[in-house]
Amino acid sequence: MKEKLNKLRDEFLEQLAQAKDSDYLHELELKYLSRKGELSQIMRSLKDLSLDLRQEIGELANNVKLELQSKFAEMSQTINNYSNKSGKIDITLPGGRIPQGHLNPITLVQQEMEDIFISLGFKILDGPELESDYYNFTALNIPPTHPARDMQDTFYVDLKNKDGQYDLLMRTQTSPVQIRAMQKYGAPLRALIPGRCFRSEATDARHEHTFYQVEGLLIDKNINFSNLKSLLEIVGQKLFGQNTKLRMRPKFFPFVEPGNNGEYTCFLCQGQGCRVCKYTGWLEIVGAGLVHPAVLKAGGLNPDIYSGLAFGFGLNRLAMLKYNINDVRLFNNGDLKFLEQF
Amino acid sequence: MYISYNWLKDFVKIPAKIKPGEVASELTKHTVEVEGVTGQAEQYDKIVVGKVLEVHKHPNADRLRLTVVDVKNQRLNIVCGAPNVAAGQLVPVALVGAQLPNGASIQESIIRGEKSSGMICAEDELGLGKDHEGILVLKNSAKIGEKFAQYLKANDVVFEVDNKSLSNRPDLLNHYGLARELAAIFNLSLKPYDKFFKRTWKFLGAKENRLSVKVEDPALCPRYSAVRVDNVTVKESPEWLKERLIAIGQRPINNIVDLTNYVMFDCGQPLHAFDAAKVQKIVVRRAAKNDSLETLDEKERILDNDDLLITDGRKALAIAGIMGGRDGGVSSETKSLILESANFAASGIRRTSQKLGLRTEASLRFEKSLDPNLTEVALLRFLTLLEEIDTEITIGSSLLDVSAGASSELAIDLDLNWLSSKIGQEIPKETVINSLKKLGFIIENGGKKEVNLRVIVPSWRATKDIANKEDLAEEVLRLYGYDNIVSRLPVLAMTPPEINEEKRLERRIKNILALKYNFNEAYNYSFVGEEQLKKLNIDFFQHLKLVNPLAETQSLLRQSLIPGLANNVKANQFKSDDFGFFEIGSVFFNAPGNFKKDATGDDFLPYQEKRLGLVLAGGGDLFDRLKGIIGSLCRNLMTYETEVEFSALDNAPGWSDRQAVAKIIVLGQELGLIAKMNPEVSENLNLKKDVALAEMNFDLLIKMLLNLPSFRFQEAPKYPPVIRDLAFVVGEKILYNDLRQAIYHFNPLIRSVELFDVYVGSKLLIGEKSLAFHIFYQSADRTLVASEVDKIQKELIDYLNKKFEVRLRDF
Repeated sequence: MKEKLNKLRDEFLEQLAQAKDSDYLHELELKYLSRKGELSQIMRSLKDLSLDLRQEIGELANNVKLELQSKFAEMSQTINNYSNKSGKIDITLPGGRIPQGHLNPITLVQQEMEDIFISLGFKILDGPELESDYYNFTALNIPPTHPARDMQDTFYVDLKNKDGQYDLLMRTQTSPVQIRAMQKYGAPLRALIPGRCFRSEATDARHEHTFYQVEGLLIDKNINFSNLKSLLEIVGQKLFGQNTKLRMRPKFFPFVEPGNNGEYTCFLCQGQGCRVCKYTGWLEIVGAGLVHPAVLKAGGLNPDIYSGLAFGFGLNRLAMLKYNINDVRLFNNGDLKFLEQF
Repeated sequence: MYISYNWLKDFVKIPAKIKPGEVASELTKHTVEVEGVTGQAEQYDKIVVGKVLEVHKHPNADRLRLTVVDVKNQRLNIVCGAPNVAAGQLVPVALVGAQLPNGASIQESIIRGEKSSGMICAEDELGLGKDHEGILVLKNSAKIGEKFAQYLKANDVVFEVDNKSLSNRPDLLNHYGLARELAAIFNLSLKPYDKFFKRTWKFLGAKENRLSVKVEDPALCPRYSAVRVDNVTVKESPEWLKERLIAIGQRPINNIVDLTNYVMFDCGQPLHAFDAAKVQKIVVRRAAKNDSLETLDEKERILDNDDLLITDGRKALAIAGIMGGRDGGVSSETKSLILESANFAASGIRRTSQKLGLRTEASLRFEKSLDPNLTEVALLRFLTLLEEIDTEITIGSSLLDVSAGASSELAIDLDLNWLSSKIGQEIPKETVINSLKKLGFIIENGGKKEVNLRVIVPSWRATKDIANKEDLAEEVLRLYGYDNIVSRLPVLAMTPPEINEEKRLERRIKNILALKYNFNEAYNYSFVGEEQLKKLNIDFFQHLKLVNPLAETQSLLRQSLIPGLANNVKANQFKSDDFGFFEIGSVFFNAPGNFKKDATGDDFLPYQEKRLGLVLAGGGDLFDRLKGIIGSLCRNLMTYETEVEFSALDNAPGWSDRQAVAKIIVLGQELGLIAKMNPEVSENLNLKKDVALAEMNFDLLIKMLLNLPSFRFQEAPKYPPVIRDLAFVVGEKILYNDLRQAIYHFNPLIRSVELFDVYVGSKLLIGEKSLAFHIFYQSADRTLVASEVDKIQKELIDYLNKKFEVRLRDF
């Protein structure tokens, strides 16, 4: 059996070396490698051997098969590409397909934001996703009776403190890092904080309990509203183009005062009105404001000396707008057909 | 919340040149988002008055009728299902193309074989109530062919205001509050609210008064005003009242209930009317544990000591500030009523409403902290309106008013220089003063030279909304208009931005993994479920739990990225032959970590660390491939000659294949583990592909990278190496790692050891394997001679023979 195999191998390789065209190759493949070819016949006859012998010969047969297949593939590629009868090659054939991995679109949008702010002198910061009630709420001027603290809105962790209360939670916003940053670095401070956040809400095409924010904080002496407006205008232009305009309106957030919503000219219709902007010409994209004095104090800063501005973007929303994604669940469900497009 | 334009115009005169659309957009820019503006005429487009001329039986359906309806210029055949349809009736007819307020759109259709060109509408289909018993029959004054909006005299415009953005503005959940904003925005004059009620009532003196009010818990009920009204006739409300309520989407019920609602939407104070027949006194007290009350919506509510009740001393009448009881409310038999106008503490209302899952228009207002001064005003407004629609009523008690005491006036100093610096530009003093005054603030010292204004906050803004000068700055700024602020970038000292090296490395690693090794980036949930962990043989008892998970499958905080990555394989196994995923994400443990819980204490948050997880699925030797990738990744990140070691580990995870699981050791530090998925586990999870997984401590990896000595280029050695290939046969239990280490450390002239072949097969005994190495001998200061190398090699073989019982492979 062994000799038979070796003989077959030598025969095949010899004939393969003489191959000139694909017809010849095809015949060779039929004779040796096809399902009814000589090699397959030998493989099938293995079952009649004793166990020991079967193991030994089987291994050899497998190796031979792999070798012949790879040599054959090599040759057939050469012949098909370069050595057809007329000597011409089809230069329009695609190259070999090189596999490629893909980053999550949230990562792409986050990196874009990071780059904008790094260029403005901001440092990128991180913080824990499992937070305390103190950093997520109290220090951010959100009193105990605030609706955001409800079980309906916040995931609490099942560990009670000394007083028998739940005081650990999955952070509902990246803002607790504001306080941690002030405590660690003091002022002046320029920080951009991207990260994963959680809210207890049922998931559908528009709602996700796990989502991503990026938030900015700038603290110095004499930071004012005019600065905030200007900074947000620049971010809008960098994100959506030079002609992007900003429109601000009042909006309540406990950790800023004044607090605002910012809308940018809809970049899809250039402000003409379309389905995405609900025919208003504007996209509501950013929440912002001047840092509340209580928040500065919680961060250990004196509000009579320092003032600050803060703003936050939803990365899911930015990515959905940018890439025309209509279902927020796609970011977290690891579907290759989705990821492959980025 | 819906707001009627006509209603707003009661309080502020809006010039005709200002159109509703502008009102909406200015309110949005300065106060609160208006989400929609709808004219009632628009709402009833293509709905007209028709006269039913003929009614016949439908040949194919017992319950349907064929009607012929005159709509002035044509006669329509309409199939109608209402039992009450009759010839001669004037009815609302939706023509083909109409879009009904309830959302239905009218098409020409064939109903059981008969053509129908339109629809005769019922009350609910027109958004006028909930009645669907039959079609709405109109009054005889209706004119055939007349637009239905005209018949209704519905010429109002309705604004839809975003409730959520009013969480800090209890003063705006009513028409007068929004009228005040309009007056400030457009600089119009606002009629004082006291023009809308009369103060001169003949309340009974102490001697004749029979009604008493007792508040047992003033903290939960800071103020309770009440009055008894006799000689009441409960009947349908007058047209104007019904129209107003319909315009804002409220269903008219009867004159008393409608008026209590009206006053709430007028000035923001919820009212409640009790039937006075059996009630001599009102006692406001906390519920006892397990007290119960059947509320108006016919549900039994179980209460506890945190909840506040309105009682008659014995029986519960209402859950304070949320909903009345089924008994004790106003009915058609009511002849006397007790009107409650009270102020309840926001936190208490919120807690009870939350607990009972019961949110009402009243609780919505109370939980935002209402102005206690409103109770008396609203009560008088109610009496005034009631007397207008029913002149027979008489007052049956004193004006009862139990109050915890007036809260002190809130005054804030506003330094105009500070204001300018906060906003970034100067806003004229007159503008500041005028804006604040329009909103009801009182300026105590508006003199010409004064730069420090003393501002008194009106009671309706003082409950929690306005507390400091920053709040005042916002008032001034929003009225001045954000559009009018000039943008100026801050001028800051030039400091080079501190680069976050960890983030920079994270980005680099992500790029390498995706672009070089073809991994796809997964963002998996931080939550896992017991069932899933069981299938993976992962012990779930030590996992942190959520108190309020959305689903059992997401009730625990993950301690590993593996479950998520296994899911990624499952979700994609039929979409692609070979693929890989990576994730960088946090895991959570029930042990103290590195972050403090608060600024002062010594408590720490649970331990959290970032991990890097990798998975490969498909064919071939994945375990080997994944090892190769990790080695390559480390050489990429560290130095070109970084060695990654894989060594045996004692506590292999339950999901791993015991034959193929190893620790990952880099520069002497254990970084994580790599394993093939156990076939049984794969079967549990329904995975149809071979899977190899790795998980590493990402924080540690970053730390190692940051502590790496800076890389120095080394000149290629001047003297050539001598390369000897040796193939050893060893027992299969001897590990590559150990053998390699032994060779590498045997002699300083051995510069590197490279594995090039592993063989197990027929030429060896069972239980043996062969490992073949290139061994590089090299000296920095001379050319090695063969005899020297031969000598070392011989000693090496002897040494290895003693240590591992190796022999040289001889074939």
